[in-house]
Amino acid sequence: MSEFEKTDPSKFLSDIIGSSVIVKLQNGINYTGNLQTIDGYMNVVLDNAKECSNGKVVRDYGDVFIRGNNVLYISEA
Amino acid sequence: MSTKEEPLDLIRFHLDEFVLIKLRGAREIKGKLQGYDSHCNMVLSEAEEYIYNDSNDDVETKKTEMVFVRGDSVILISPI
Amino acid sequence: MLFFSFFKTLVDQEVTVELKNDMEIKGTLKSVDQYLNLKLDNISCTNGNKYPHLQSVKTLFIRGSTVRYVHMSPNSVDCTLLQDASRRKLWFNPQSRMIV
Repeated sequence: MSEFEKTDPSKFLSDIIGSSVIVKLQNGINYTGNLQTIDGYMNVVLDNAKECSNGKVVRDYGDVFIRGNNVLYISEA
Repeated sequence: MSTKEEPLDLIRFHLDEFVLIKLRGAREIKGKLQGYDSHCNMVLSEAEEYIYNDSNDDVETKKTEMVFVRGDSVILISPI
Repeated sequence: MLFFSFFKTLVDQEVTVELKNDMEIKGTLKSVDQYLNLKLDNISCTNGNKYPHLQSVKTLFIRGSTVRYVHMSPNSVDCTLLQDASRRKLWFNPQSRMIV
């Protein structure tokens, strides 16, 4: 986001739909990809997803659905 | 708003197709998706389970013809 | 609720329940509730040499949250029906933004 503005988390999440994101899970694994959709449980769908652990790409997925309870954070890449 | 896509739609589009499920406890299952709900409870047919042990090189494989997977173990679902 | 109905169709069938602590219990499914708690009859532990705790137990009530898998015979599942029910979203998802 270009300027700092008072906003809420769900606005952030709807704003970043379609952009490239990093999703970190509680087990320490990172997923990068384009955010297709997200819901209130933080269930996430990424396309063109890459699984990274310890800074290395471990695996490529086409589309991937991540169950929300595993999500630690979602950040704009 | 009614046409808004939601994450579970991805799973719906892959009913009757093979998917890869990554589970807690260093497990994965490949199988044909027969059913699911919003908790990610699922039924898979023609499934194969992979259990990764500490040393990453030995993988235990188990075949199962029809299995229900409880959603709380699910980490991710990806079409294959 | 979909899988509650699904398990009700499996009552009196033989199933193998794999728990999150790796125990595998085979038995006849006698009943199920909305939490997917299960009651099994005539049980045997398929890996009983590893887990001898249940050798004298005949009937078991399993808390749904401890279940990892339930294996069943493919003949006892109507796949077309299950796929259709999943597609038509016969469950209630309060946070869904979709108006069904």
